[in-house]
Amino acid sequence: MTSKTDFTTIAFLAFALLSGSVPILLGQEDKPLSTESVAFFEAKIRPVLVEQCYRCHSADGQGIRGGLSLENKDAMLAGGESGPAIVPGNLEESILWSAINYQDFKMPPKTPLPRAVIEDFRKWIEMGAPDPRVSSGVEIHSKVTPEDIAQGKEFWSFKAPVKAKPKASQHANWAVSEIDRHVAQAWDEHALEPAEDAEPATLVRRLYFDLIGLPPTIKELETFVANWKSNPESALSQTVDALLKRPQFGERWGRYWLDIARYAESSGKEVDMTFPNAWRYRNYVIDAFNNDKPYDQFVREQIAGDLIPTKDDKQFAEQLIATGFLAIGPKTLIERNPRQFQADLIDEQIDTTTRVILGVSVACARCHDHKFDPIPQTDYYALAGIFQSTETMFGGMRSQRSRQESNLIILPVEDPNPNDSQMSKAELAGLKKQLEEREKEYAEARRAQRQPEKSKDGTAPRSSFLSIAILDQLIAQISSRINTVDSDGKPMTLCMGVQEADKLRDAKLLVRGEIDQPAQEVKRGLVQVLCKEQVTLPPNTSGRREFAEWLTARDNPLTARVMVNRVWQHLIGNAIVSEPENFGASGPAPSNPALLDYLAVDFMDNKWSVKHVVRSIVTSRVYRLSSAFDKTRFEADPDNKYVARANVRRLDAEALRDAILAISGQIDLSRPKASLIASFGTTLIGPNGPAMVPPAALAMATGGDSEKNPGRPNMMNAIRAGGRNPNANPFEAPNYARSVYLPIPRNSLPRALDVFDFAEPSLVVGSRETSNTADQALFLLNNPFVLEQSDALARQLVRMSSNQNERISKAFNLVYGRSATQKELRAASEFFRKADDGKKTIPNEQRVFQALSQFCQALLCAAEFRLIN
Amino acid sequence: MNFDTPIVSRRELLQTASAGFGYLAFAGLSTAAADQESGLNPLAPKAPHFKASAKRVIFLCMQGGPSHVDTFDYKPQLAADAGKGGKYGGSKLMPSPWKFHQQGKSGLWISELFPELGKHADELALIRSMHCDQPTHPRAMTQMHTGNAQFIRPSLGAWTLYGLGTENDSMPGFIALNPPAASAQNFGSSFLPAIYQGTKVGRPQGRGPGPATRGAANSGPQLPDISNPRQSKQSQRNQINLIQNLNRQKLERDIQQPDVEGVIESYELAFRMQDVLPDLMDISKESEKTMAMYGINQEDTNDFGRQCLMARRFVESGVRFVEVTHGNWDHHQRLKTELPNKCREIDKPIAGLLTDLQQRGLLKDTLVIWGGEFGRSPDAPNGDGRDHNHKGYTTWMAGGGVKGGFSYGSTDEHGYQAVEDKCHVHDWHATILHLLGLDHEQLTYRYAGRNFRLTDVAGSVIDKIIA
Repeated sequence: MTSKTDFTTIAFLAFALLSGSVPILLGQEDKPLSTESVAFFEAKIRPVLVEQCYRCHSADGQGIRGGLSLENKDAMLAGGESGPAIVPGNLEESILWSAINYQDFKMPPKTPLPRAVIEDFRKWIEMGAPDPRVSSGVEIHSKVTPEDIAQGKEFWSFKAPVKAKPKASQHANWAVSEIDRHVAQAWDEHALEPAEDAEPATLVRRLYFDLIGLPPTIKELETFVANWKSNPESALSQTVDALLKRPQFGERWGRYWLDIARYAESSGKEVDMTFPNAWRYRNYVIDAFNNDKPYDQFVREQIAGDLIPTKDDKQFAEQLIATGFLAIGPKTLIERNPRQFQADLIDEQIDTTTRVILGVSVACARCHDHKFDPIPQTDYYALAGIFQSTETMFGGMRSQRSRQESNLIILPVEDPNPNDSQMSKAELAGLKKQLEEREKEYAEARRAQRQPEKSKDGTAPRSSFLSIAILDQLIAQISSRINTVDSDGKPMTLCMGVQEADKLRDAKLLVRGEIDQPAQEVKRGLVQVLCKEQVTLPPNTSGRREFAEWLTARDNPLTARVMVNRVWQHLIGNAIVSEPENFGASGPAPSNPALLDYLAVDFMDNKWSVKHVVRSIVTSRVYRLSSAFDKTRFEADPDNKYVARANVRRLDAEALRDAILAISGQIDLSRPKASLIASFGTTLIGPNGPAMVPPAALAMATGGDSEKNPGRPNMMNAIRAGGRNPNANPFEAPNYARSVYLPIPRNSLPRALDVFDFAEPSLVVGSRETSNTADQALFLLNNPFVLEQSDALARQLVRMSSNQNERISKAFNLVYGRSATQKELRAASEFFRKADDGKKTIPNEQRVFQALSQFCQALLCAAEFRLIN
Repeated sequence: MNFDTPIVSRRELLQTASAGFGYLAFAGLSTAAADQESGLNPLAPKAPHFKASAKRVIFLCMQGGPSHVDTFDYKPQLAADAGKGGKYGGSKLMPSPWKFHQQGKSGLWISELFPELGKHADELALIRSMHCDQPTHPRAMTQMHTGNAQFIRPSLGAWTLYGLGTENDSMPGFIALNPPAASAQNFGSSFLPAIYQGTKVGRPQGRGPGPATRGAANSGPQLPDISNPRQSKQSQRNQINLIQNLNRQKLERDIQQPDVEGVIESYELAFRMQDVLPDLMDISKESEKTMAMYGINQEDTNDFGRQCLMARRFVESGVRFVEVTHGNWDHHQRLKTELPNKCREIDKPIAGLLTDLQQRGLLKDTLVIWGGEFGRSPDAPNGDGRDHNHKGYTTWMAGGGVKGGFSYGSTDEHGYQAVEDKCHVHDWHATILHLLGLDHEQLTYRYAGRNFRLTDVAGSVIDKIIA
């Protein structure tokens, strides 16, 4: 008989030849199985598993139900959602044993096994469950040698940054700061001449959008221009200081971080489940930028805030919220196999953390050694061990379609979601009773669905299926409500984040990243090529705190560089390393290495202050350069790699929407409480928003006796009625808050963000795309939001003046911060003349207002409004 | 209208712009030949890697996993072994309750459930050896669309548009008609520029994550903001003229500003689309005969017939990739009553589509693809119903340079697993791209430090089905 082990070995060898890795068969650590015990397994156990169980519990069959595979020893010991199938020698703890005895589970579901077979299993488990179906015992040896790693450390970005003195430049008089001198040195090398300084009116608009994401008011603009004329340096530094103090700074710069932290308020992917507490992380990020939290501390809190000692509960709560960074990623909640789910979750955490903070992609090494950088597959699993020893709390709600859920962290402060109100004990008990009833009904409906011929009343499967879906949703809705309060009915303050796991475990390397092909265990550890010396993590913790310390250590060569590169990119328009998440060997070289290193060291020297970096860049002279086109300068450096001129940049989705609201005068600058998503609680999101059973239907469904409730058919109608209105999508409801506070459901982004190249919230987005699409034009031409803001702007103009020409001039001032040219005034007159054509039937006042509103809209639509010069 | 008088020579400007600077800024459709020549417009038609046999795609996506053993995969042995235990023990083999007949000159075996489609047997290339890696619906659906169920990746339609651009500069290049609820990632562009993502037209359909999703298939808004609620066309044109006048003055002042050019073109496209799209979706001008051919205004076939006809109108107008979804093929129960209903709903419309495309000379370079995310088990765990089966199932292609009346590959004697000439979803993708003139190994996009492709590191073209 050919045992399965042989096949596995062959498969590994075949793989090894492909990948270049060398597998070595480990000596069997356990005692070799006796011939008799193997014979017993082959005769009595294996045939039963194959015939009765594999259909639902093997990768070959119809999937791995309950996350349980019975295909090999490891898989049985690891078990599925409910725990290990077999604990050798222990009948009590072996779920397979209770299942075949029809205790908790009833397996096989149709007919129980014959008594004799059950006895065989008893004997087998008591024998210690000898099982020759071993898939491990393989060790993957990396092709990356210690020499490769030592050599890899010589790569520019893996060596610590060093401040170098810029050489004396021919532009010495031009420069006002060290940044300027570094930039100018590159001009010397590439024979470039800098552009003129920009006009102060251009500069101030640039500054406002860059620092707070809003345009300057006319008064602010005029004050700046006047001050500039008397003393440019002081005008600039005063304005910069004032802007850095405004709460809008954190809203602007926090959003950049949320782009790379792939922030969203739902799970995304196949079943989109709300994350009603994600907003706490959003606010944490905004506050961190406003308070200028040192970046190293900011990073540490997000990776290991739960493990860092604090002085009080408030601080502790803040740090717990920070760890939401690891929990808010997209999730495949539909995945049935918890091991697969966990492996994917960990992979997402490793990928995000390393790319966001280190600018290298370690997740490539999940399946094989990194192709370009000396990162062996074992380094990946060393990190995976850290995350495997960590519990990720993302919430969710188990239902028919959403198979994965977790707890949330209860915060040591009182700040519950606004909609989660106090519940009386009676209310809570009532809800619990309803939940129990619905669950009973649900179980019955499921049974009826499985055996339609046996249903008493002959319910058609279609209708029973519908009621299953509705019951499923009701159950989710009721439990979601129950889960927001403690046992006294008091609303709890919850957040997403991470905690140390109960069990600390090193990860097993997975061949090709496949969960059913484990190889050797890898000790928890760090990415070797980025470690100055060999690092050993303490065995009694996950190692996450040490990981966080290491990420932000002064001698980590990447962390500071990666962050200053991002800041530079947001302010200047092109990054020094043009792929901000790829500082590895396959990435582009820095356009100005000395400048990058200067910024990085200066950042660390100034207590990792992001505001310091921002201030030093925007007060440099480079920032003041004009973006005006000059053929010679353009041809000498078409991509503007060496920044001898300013880049013309686009307003991103948030700045565009906020600027429209600011100019229309309708913006609400206060921070909304929580988020729209929080008010829905935990629920799935469908095409029309949260898939909640409408209140009327809920009342019918939950009122009175469940069995013979005459309200049931009406309930169905009420449910259907609730879904009829296609305009019911709550994410498009009028909202005047800043865009950073709009709801971010992964699969149904608000249109105002979605059409203007918003960062795909499931990916790490260091630089957004910029596109010009017809959809954007349609939005600006036809969307009710834009029409409403145009009306609001027109009303302002009507209040300001009764003279049309004056209104036109004022409009240009308000929207573009400049006077209209003669040619533009002519175009405007032409527009008004034609707008009046053939509309004599409409009352004059109304006609004038309509045309004025359309004119205002045209100014918002034109390209100039979207560009920063 | 005077907006189309160029103030500065676009061509001159474009010649001075470097690809690095202006490329994505031009992400608007272009009317100017200069754009197409310079290759700056990412949606301009692009030359394929080699001569293509198909220029456009209509993908008829059957959501839920249609049973292959009752439709296109004839299994006499299943009938012979009726009632015996299935491959995994437990439930018993269930022969197809329907008869199969040899159809057309080619004699392809097709079930009686498709009387109309059967007449097109000589145009069909059946792939009877499909397999994928995912046993659950959403993940298999995602793999079918993006090749990868684990990560969010660009969809087949997005890759196609990225590779070939599109030919109608008044329409989006990739359209998802009445897409299923919660399917955004199956039409998404992921890391490809957003311009390549599918534009959803029509109401989402099918069972969403709640009961609140059942609406009339062809009612409701077609595309958000496709019309202005206040202004007449003439009035809006006047407004757009002002916008474009301001844009041109800006361009004049700035001399070199690809972004402004992109904005100018986006408004013209939007303005045209407002006319063209509702017009293309208005099938009332089609002849009675055509409508009847698709089964429009007939019970059962009305909804899908309309969508198929709309799909033809779209591809005819130059849209590169159209996907039409038909849901509820997940027959765990009541197979005997439900499957015939589903088949009837699509039989006539698809037959009509193939006839119509042929009559218009479009079939030869339009690739029509039919398939679900997987098939169904030869055994019947619930008596009258079949389970999921992702290790072996059938899809088919027609037109666009595939061999008609051809059957490729096979499953085992009962239909559980693909055994001969197996066709994985990656192979299927590679073949579709190949028919479009694209080499799946060359069609790459750089993201996160490496070059990505639709087929990842796998996929081989099925040469045998190419005519």
